[in-house]
Amino acid sequence: MPTLNPHSVLERVRRDVERNALRTRNGIRLATGARPSVGCTPKDVAWRSGRTELWHYRNDDVRFTPPLLIVFSLISRSYILDLSPGNSFVERLLKAGFDVWLLDWGVPDERDAQNRLEDYVDEYLPGGIARVLELTGRDQVNLLGYCFGGNLALLHAAHHPHSPLRSITVMATPVDFRHMGPLADVFGVGGLEVADVLDANGNVPPQVVLQGFRTLKPTSEVTRYVDLWQRLWDDEYVAAYQAMTAWSDNHVPFPGAAAQEVIQMLVRDNGFVTDRLTVGDDRVHLADVRCPFLTVLANRDHIVPEPAAAPLIELVGAPDKHELRLNAGHIGLVVGKTAARTTIPTIIDFMQQRSEVST
Amino acid sequence: MAQPPLWRRLYDSAERTVAPRLESVVRTEHFARGAALAGWAQATARTQVAALSARVWHLVNLPTGTDVARLRAQVGALDREVRRLAFHLEQQQAHHDARTHDKETGGADAQSP
Repeated sequence: MPTLNPHSVLERVRRDVERNALRTRNGIRLATGARPSVGCTPKDVAWRSGRTELWHYRNDDVRFTPPLLIVFSLISRSYILDLSPGNSFVERLLKAGFDVWLLDWGVPDERDAQNRLEDYVDEYLPGGIARVLELTGRDQVNLLGYCFGGNLALLHAAHHPHSPLRSITVMATPVDFRHMGPLADVFGVGGLEVADVLDANGNVPPQVVLQGFRTLKPTSEVTRYVDLWQRLWDDEYVAAYQAMTAWSDNHVPFPGAAAQEVIQMLVRDNGFVTDRLTVGDDRVHLADVRCPFLTVLANRDHIVPEPAAAPLIELVGAPDKHELRLNAGHIGLVVGKTAARTTIPTIIDFMQQRSEVST
Repeated sequence: MAQPPLWRRLYDSAERTVAPRLESVVRTEHFARGAALAGWAQATARTQVAALSARVWHLVNLPTGTDVARLRAQVGALDREVRRLAFHLEQQQAHHDARTHDKETGGADAQSP
């Protein structure tokens, strides 16, 4: 039997008392809803159309050209890419010397319910690119799509082979929707119609998407509270927890018409893999994506599992194409230690190789 | 490294047993069909209730939530059309400006020695 050292017992009691005091303080902070600031990197709105905004992040030390345009997903808020100072994907890109722009789709309302994928692929995205070129005086951009933003970037590049793109990078972008789990299966295998889940505005409410994500890991909700209780004394952990949960619980509505297209074309027809993609009235093919291409996928991603993202590298027609598989989760690609250590430096390296030193 | 407390070890061990089972259940075809059926039943119930309340409101000549939603959808569709038109006009204008600029530059080039 281990012997009890009075000093170590006292030390443990002291530590537990201290931690319980900190737990109480942080618990009160959480209960009163005090939230850490997110999306703090200084930026300007360079263009606006509908709810869409083009953001330009300020950078006095741009060392590379062409500019980098980030395309975000349609169902969540883009500040995950600029979560907090010191834990910001955007901040790292700026420090690496890029001129960073981001297309943020805003919060769709009833005016966006009729938006189809072509609105994003043929209008907002080219509109954003044109504005970046106009303001920078350059003739190309590097495009970076995150999650479903990657799908939009791919559809754009496939539909507009002459779009002024120096390169495309996509992260956690699904193409084989048979592997997307319960959220896709309910509509694909289950046969639920998008019309059955639309809200009064004609959009898919964020709760539906959130519920779908929660179903992917049924115990994660409980585990999240257990983790929080265990580390409630740790200020750093609590701040990160607040920022992350505020983001993961706070999705945006998915425009109804676009959702219907996604379910039919991408889920039921599995269009990316079966080459049955249509934008507007035109057939498009991933084989027409010819510019330098990088796909980044995470092998612990439970939202876009590896088998859903893996076929992409074979589907694009670019002669200069690369795949990066990382030991990370979906969010871990852009937030936290793996992102800081591996993902971001690799993306920076890829894009620096496809850029010139700015004069 | 310090060991996690006993309660945490108990939770982790229970979670390790339960989570994979639940995850495999939610990935079955039966679950997808069940969830779809539940979604459809919810939508049907919502429609029935809305229809019933609409009948009551219409009896006293008042608009219902469904009427307002329909109007909002129409306004939304109109807003999209206007936005698309504005976008195409902008594009044509830019195209026209570029052509005019090219012509002017071409003319200047032709005049230079």
